[in-house]
Amino acid sequence: MLDDLKYRDGEVSVAGVRVRYRVAGPDNDRTPLVLVHGTAGSVDGHFGYIFPMMAYRQKVIALDWSDTEGATLELADLVAQVRAVIGDAVPVGPVTLLGYSLGACVAAQTAAELPGKVANLILVAGWLKTDTHQQMRNRIWRALRDQDSASITEYMTFCAFSPGFMNMKSLPEMVAAAGMLKMSGFVDRQMDLNTRIDIAEACETITAKTLVIGCTFDMMVPKHHSKQLFGAIEDARYTEIPSGHAVVHERAAELFHHIDMFTRAPGAHPAGTIIPAQKP
Amino acid sequence: MTLHSKIVIIGSGFAGLGMGIQLKRSGRADFVILERAQDVGGTWRDNHYPGVACDVPSHLYSFSYLPKPDWSRVFSPGPEIQAYMRQCAEDEGLMPHIRFGTEMLACRWDEDSALWTIETSQGDYTCNVLITGTGHLADSHMPKIPGIESFPGDLFHSADWNHEVALEGRRIGVVGSGASAIQIIPEMQKVAGELVVFQRSAPYMIPRWDRAFSEGEKRMFRRDPSTVEAMRSEIFWAGEYNFAQRRNVPRFLNEAKAMALGNLERNVADPDLRARLTPNYEVGCKRLLISNAYYPAMCAENTRLEASALAKIEGSTVYGASGESYDLDVLVFATGFEAVRPPFAARVFGREGISLDAHWDKGMQAYDSIAVHGYPNLFIINGPNTGLGHNSVVYIIEAQVNYILEALDHLEQNQVRLFEAAAEAEDAYMDRLQGRAEGTVWLAGGCKSWYVDERSGRLTLVWPDYAHSFRDENGHFHPEGYEMVPGPLAAE
Ligand SMILES: Cc1cc2nc3c(=O)[nH]c(=O)nc-3n(C[C@H](O)[C@H](O)[C@H](O)COP(=O)(O)OP(=O)(O)OC[C@H]3O[C@@H](n4cnc5c(N)ncnc54)[C@H](O)[C@@H]3O)c2cc1C
Repeated sequence: MLDDLKYRDGEVSVAGVRVRYRVAGPDNDRTPLVLVHGTAGSVDGHFGYIFPMMAYRQKVIALDWSDTEGATLELADLVAQVRAVIGDAVPVGPVTLLGYSLGACVAAQTAAELPGKVANLILVAGWLKTDTHQQMRNRIWRALRDQDSASITEYMTFCAFSPGFMNMKSLPEMVAAAGMLKMSGFVDRQMDLNTRIDIAEACETITAKTLVIGCTFDMMVPKHHSKQLFGAIEDARYTEIPSGHAVVHERAAELFHHIDMFTRAPGAHPAGTIIPAQKP
Repeated sequence: MTLHSKIVIIGSGFAGLGMGIQLKRSGRADFVILERAQDVGGTWRDNHYPGVACDVPSHLYSFSYLPKPDWSRVFSPGPEIQAYMRQCAEDEGLMPHIRFGTEMLACRWDEDSALWTIETSQGDYTCNVLITGTGHLADSHMPKIPGIESFPGDLFHSADWNHEVALEGRRIGVVGSGASAIQIIPEMQKVAGELVVFQRSAPYMIPRWDRAFSEGEKRMFRRDPSTVEAMRSEIFWAGEYNFAQRRNVPRFLNEAKAMALGNLERNVADPDLRARLTPNYEVGCKRLLISNAYYPAMCAENTRLEASALAKIEGSTVYGASGESYDLDVLVFATGFEAVRPPFAARVFGREGISLDAHWDKGMQAYDSIAVHGYPNLFIINGPNTGLGHNSVVYIIEAQVNYILEALDHLEQNQVRLFEAAAEAEDAYMDRLQGRAEGTVWLAGGCKSWYVDERSGRLTLVWPDYAHSFRDENGHFHPEGYEMVPGPLAAE
């Protein structure tokens, strides 16, 4: 293999389950970056691009969620896993915490709980409080799942990508992409958690320097949610990427650009700034 | 008689025009552009071979501030690009500033007057600030082939196409398998009696998503400029994504390799031909080429693939390194350009009277990829470490033009007569770049020979990062990297 990216795997135990994480990249003047994936995701699935590319810039840590023992999955379970990984991988000094989708809700809650530790926060396509629009989508998903419908992965793919992106692909390509999605009991439990998110109060207490990234054509977590986060978090700045919810695939390089700029100089834009898109 | 301008620009390609337009737009009129040829366009004026077109979609491969809603195709033909450039020069009132037929022969720095003297084929010029935009792919590379002078037929370089030469039904050899060759070969296959392609190494090739724009689309682009902007951004970030291949991340290399080899498999049925068209080096070593017409042309009845380099010529008999020989009437060299040692560098003499080319005896280098210690009051556009394998060069040029504009503002505001990149700043910049290049496809493993300057073992042509990072880092002037001498500007 030509690639020179070296990484190490770590593991911590929390509430009786083992949580695996991966570390790569050099120690330097940037704060270690911790990546939290979203629903039905994993390090490879959601950060296959961002993890290795950011690791050429700085230290990056990313974890895979583990299923829990409880009757239902709670936000607190996932927060505990993230806190455990941070404690294990970065015992001293601050971190920059990035969460994507449901991972953004987890990251925001974690930042509220660890005000000194989480110095910087990046919330990609996250939300404050589940709304009717999301509940409606989740309900259709639930029905397809209960019917054991083969269409469920295509429905998820349809919701995840922007029309513009999809139209650069062919229908067979999109169907093949849908075929890669795997359902599981753990995904069911995450989908259930998605219907019950409310971190409005916690967000009011976040002190981290925060970058909120909304996705213009997001049909799963429309950008008004990101605007709400931008409003709720004191030290937040906002930017938008013209993509669907699947921004980690659709506009991976543009997402990288925003993460790279923010982790290099988190305070470059004052709180309240709407950072314009770079016009090439 | 010596003419003086505050600023002299050499070259009227995208670099020279982009610089001139922005000087004008910023209210600076005291400049001239020296151009050795008779028209603007640079690359796009000189490369008029059959099939010439851009490889970056036109809506991105154009000035960001001069969008053209009616590009005919996704990848427009070369003459359309040149016409666009001429239109830009005319609309922006640049033509009166351009001195055509004026070749820069030597630029000499005079420390006492803090002026550059420029000897040209049309008399001398002096200036306070010299800006080169002579291109990195402007001077043809002709390989030294034994017996080349004995070839009785027609022979020319792709960038110097001889349209007088009749091609219909003749035995044509095309030397090369790079970006120009793969555009030329399908055109030659259509007309040749027999076509022989000399291929030293097979390229990785992916499909080209080309098509004509409909009238309705062009009208949409005209009526709603935000649609052009959205498309530019889409093309740009899709290109940026591919930097992960350059960065050598296995997953993305494999993605590209699968796409290229799948394309080969779909288009070339004959297993023997397919084997000879399969690259024997890692994907990413060289630019991924894009074409839909190349493989079909290679499969055609009248095409023969010589999967070795052109080795020698004896009269009309042309030999591959394999020993195979062919009798040919026409020989086209699509063998690329002088890039490692750009010819302009041998003509620019700095404080010590040494040419840049001699100064760069260990390979090119420049602070912020734009200025060189020992060569005051000089900016080089598209010089060392500016090359991209994955996105639009015009984007890099715009970043450099912006840098120069900010520099000029700074010099004017602070009454600086002489500025020069500090040696330490230049070395530190190069060290940072080399550090960043470690582990990229350009330096790692089997690809080294393609990009590294053999004299220094360093990467001197390529910018080893994202294009957007170039703009982030080198799109703004950094006064801290320069030594500056205050005083009024000299004028002759
Ligand atoms: C066939 C081909 C296809 C390409 N396709 C793409 C593409 O799709 N996308 C992309 O990003 N890039 C492409 N490129 C790269 C291309 O070179 C750059 O994009 C761009 O055109 C460079 O502009 P420039 O102004 O720096 O140089 P040039 O266009 O080369 O212009 C330099 C000018 O300087 C003049 N000059 C040089 N020396 C002197 C002298 N001593 N005195 C006076 N005048 C002088 C030359 O005559 C010329 O007009 C392509 C290149 C080629 C050859």
